[in-house]
Amino acid sequence: MGNGYAGKILVVDLTKRTTSTLNTSDYAEYGGGHGIGSAVFFDLCRDKTVKAFDPGNVLTVMTGPLQGTLTPFASGRCEVQGIAPEGFPVEWYSRSGFGGRFSGQLKFAGWDGIAVTGKADKPVWIDIRDQSVAIRDASPSGDGLWGLDTVEVEKKIYELVRKGDTADWTDYGGSRDSGRSTLNPGVLSCGPAGENLCRAASLIHEGGGGAGQGGFGAVFGSKNLKSISVIGTGSVEIADPKALMGARAWAQASWWDIDNLKPGLPGMYTSRPSGAIGANAAENVAGRDNSCLGCYKSCHGGRNSRGLAPNSSCFDSYYNLQSKFGIQGHTSDNAVTTDRLQRLGINAWEGAIAGPWLVALYKKGILGPGKQIDTKIDFSDYGSEAFNKAFLEAIAYRTDIGKVLGEGAARAALAWGRYEEDTTSGLLAICAHGYAHHYDARTEVEWGFGTALDSRDINEHDIALTLYWYTSMAPLFGVPYIMPAKDLVEMIGSTLLPYKDPMMLDYSDTGIYSDAMVKFVSWHRHYNRFWKQSAIFCDWGVTDWINPYTEGYKGLTPEVEPRFFNAVTGQKLTFEEGMTIGKKIWNLDRAINVLQGRDRDGDALDEWQFTTGAPASHTTYEIPYVMPVFENGEWSYKNVWGRMLDHAKFEDWKTRFYEFEGWDTKTGVPTKETLDKLGLEKVAVELAAAKKI
Amino acid sequence: MSDNEAKEPKQLSRRDFVTGLGSLGLGAVLGGVLGSAVLLPDRVLAIPASEGYILVDTKKCIGCDSCMLACSITHHGSASFSQSRIQISQNVFEPYPGDLTIAQCRQCPYPACVEACPTGANHVDTANGNVRTVDASKCIGCERCVSACPFTPSRALWNGAEKHAQKCDLCANTPFWDKKGGPGGKQACVEVCKMHAVTFTSEIPIQSDAGYDVNLRTKDGSAALLLPTGDDGFFSPGQVAAAKAAAAAAAAAAAPKAGH
Repeated sequence: MGNGYAGKILVVDLTKRTTSTLNTSDYAEYGGGHGIGSAVFFDLCRDKTVKAFDPGNVLTVMTGPLQGTLTPFASGRCEVQGIAPEGFPVEWYSRSGFGGRFSGQLKFAGWDGIAVTGKADKPVWIDIRDQSVAIRDASPSGDGLWGLDTVEVEKKIYELVRKGDTADWTDYGGSRDSGRSTLNPGVLSCGPAGENLCRAASLIHEGGGGAGQGGFGAVFGSKNLKSISVIGTGSVEIADPKALMGARAWAQASWWDIDNLKPGLPGMYTSRPSGAIGANAAENVAGRDNSCLGCYKSCHGGRNSRGLAPNSSCFDSYYNLQSKFGIQGHTSDNAVTTDRLQRLGINAWEGAIAGPWLVALYKKGILGPGKQIDTKIDFSDYGSEAFNKAFLEAIAYRTDIGKVLGEGAARAALAWGRYEEDTTSGLLAICAHGYAHHYDARTEVEWGFGTALDSRDINEHDIALTLYWYTSMAPLFGVPYIMPAKDLVEMIGSTLLPYKDPMMLDYSDTGIYSDAMVKFVSWHRHYNRFWKQSAIFCDWGVTDWINPYTEGYKGLTPEVEPRFFNAVTGQKLTFEEGMTIGKKIWNLDRAINVLQGRDRDGDALDEWQFTTGAPASHTTYEIPYVMPVFENGEWSYKNVWGRMLDHAKFEDWKTRFYEFEGWDTKTGVPTKETLDKLGLEKVAVELAAAKKI
Repeated sequence: MSDNEAKEPKQLSRRDFVTGLGSLGLGAVLGGVLGSAVLLPDRVLAIPASEGYILVDTKKCIGCDSCMLACSITHHGSASFSQSRIQISQNVFEPYPGDLTIAQCRQCPYPACVEACPTGANHVDTANGNVRTVDASKCIGCERCVSACPFTPSRALWNGAEKHAQKCDLCANTPFWDKKGGPGGKQACVEVCKMHAVTFTSEIPIQSDAGYDVNLRTKDGSAALLLPTGDDGFFSPGQVAAAKAAAAAAAAAAAPKAGH
């Protein structure tokens, strides 16, 4: 009986130009996705202290059992992990994810994932056609891929892989039974930014599907790897196809119906039923909302009649809006700018955080032609098409100001002697570890504290969508809440298995430092590590905590996650058992970070979050911040905007968090007992050898 | 072409048959030997029309390929692109709507795939609403049906894993699904299409060599999703205004009352 896994993981050694395989079953205890990726990294990366651009860094691109299987929110997702160049001051081992169709092609080619080690001596691309794997010449004298942008290279690979009539079936292998496909291959590439080791370089698939955070595009670049292409003509067996079809029908019935439209809720699901905001790139011309493989949510960005910025969604297209709405009122064409960003392969967050900061320095007379920070780019024209072209190309090609800024805003600030001042004032609003402020760490603390404890901006919207966006936008829209705060936190609290404690959702001034918040941040780290990053349910699909389309607005969590997982794998995994696997993966990641030097001091947030209650410089959308609070014995919705964090209280909270996790309260390092209990004995051995425990 | 226009009675007249020969060029069957063929009054052999057809609207599709996965899973118990009898081919870099094509079996009135089969494996299944389908046990692997299909890509396809030809049977034979399929039942591709961009009809759509492509974007929801409600690929200002008004009215009507 099948179980949703393809069964093998491809290992490509670019130094030796050899390939080998791992059995996925050897890593099945981690479920899939990031969990397996971390376990493979742990085994293949001998020295976890190597730098991100060292050939010894191991990059994994992983799927799991649900990918390619019709599981909504999960089928089209992939996880990428490795030592991440974007991390600051240490390139913390981290992860990123992307959607699209790559996952299905990889699975149907017979691979659950790919691990890339070493460094090619000249530019290459990996050409996977089912079980056939070739390391091909990407240099100008070869297939001519190096130097191309992410759109050009993908189109070129389509031509290289699909010879002949691309409207017809393409034969792979030449014999009747060797496999055919009508589809273009799944391609994952770095752009010029990755080639030039820009630390915020993204990996791009199909124009806008991107693994942005972490800078893994630059890891591709450092390995002289331009692209991975995969065409899969095979199949992956499902344990219980009838149960899978039944689960699909059940989940689908709890979603909007395009021909019988019922509005969503303010903030959670915008004016568009899908909640898709890729329309920013579409700019009101006819187009197609796109979904990732096997999902019906259609939030994978828009495609427009101009063919620009396909599949770009959310913050991809908000880079330009920072200038459009934020600073000087320029209105360059959003689709054009987003397209440029994606083609160059730059993490949109980097441009977004750097722009307003640099404009402020320009206005102060610190930045400009002949100034302390010398640049020929005309910052008086910020937000224009000409500016965006000059600015983004400077970053990607490491020219002008991009020579330094290509190192990322944090390292640039350090090089220019501005880091301490500008991250204390908030002019440069880095949340933690060199990553941009995203949702507010001072108000929505599961995001902030989670990011401090993790290796990057966690980018997990469970609370953000439900207890910030919805609860803040409903009153602004003049729409009454669906239920009182007490009922809402009890409804969501009942899903926080095994705790079922609504007090975990108290975002009052005292609640954010409470033991209940310790418990919630722990729950949140474990939930995301397994269900969203290893089973790889998309962050925009689950948690489903408030559902506009069900009776009583009750979401599909915690049923939806194990129901699909078990239908595909044939297991009987409970939601809580998934949480335990998540805890194991969370501790494995923590151990890798500890080997890199992580300690208690590394679990920090940048200073401005302790010194000011003002909005972050690069965001325009976070006021008010209405969240549930428990004060004077009652639950209510309250605007908690303007809050600053307190160092002493945060440090005390960290101590209790470490204790709760089974970590040393002085160092923040998982204890041997904790690791052994989780089945991570060999991890404990490596930590002991490094004198970390 | 609108949805309403794309319908025609399913019973073929002799005139329909002759017209079909001329415009479609799908291969006439004059004096051929086909088990499920019928004789028209003037002794021209014809084939009973399928009692069901899959309609698709490429402009309404969101490209999730769920129909492909559902087809493969319900027929074979495994997920696959290449085993799917409906093929969604996408090139995201082409401007909309040319970024996506849908290739579904047309259940041709005069099925070249059936005609080409030397063993009767590819046949008209009279027990299941005359759907054109393949009896895998009779397939000898010659792939003549694959070659004979007049459409590109061929809607009859080769299953290299199970080693037989196959084609859309409107889910008449879906051993891995607990729903009744076939023209009188459900179709997996239709059931998983949240956009209703893949639908079922029991009436023969009007078709030409260029195929048929109906407009299923008939409701306010399509406009709310910024899908073009006209076939020219663009919105008119009037469409935008109408869509906004309709969405606002629907929102007002459905807005929760205080204390809900």
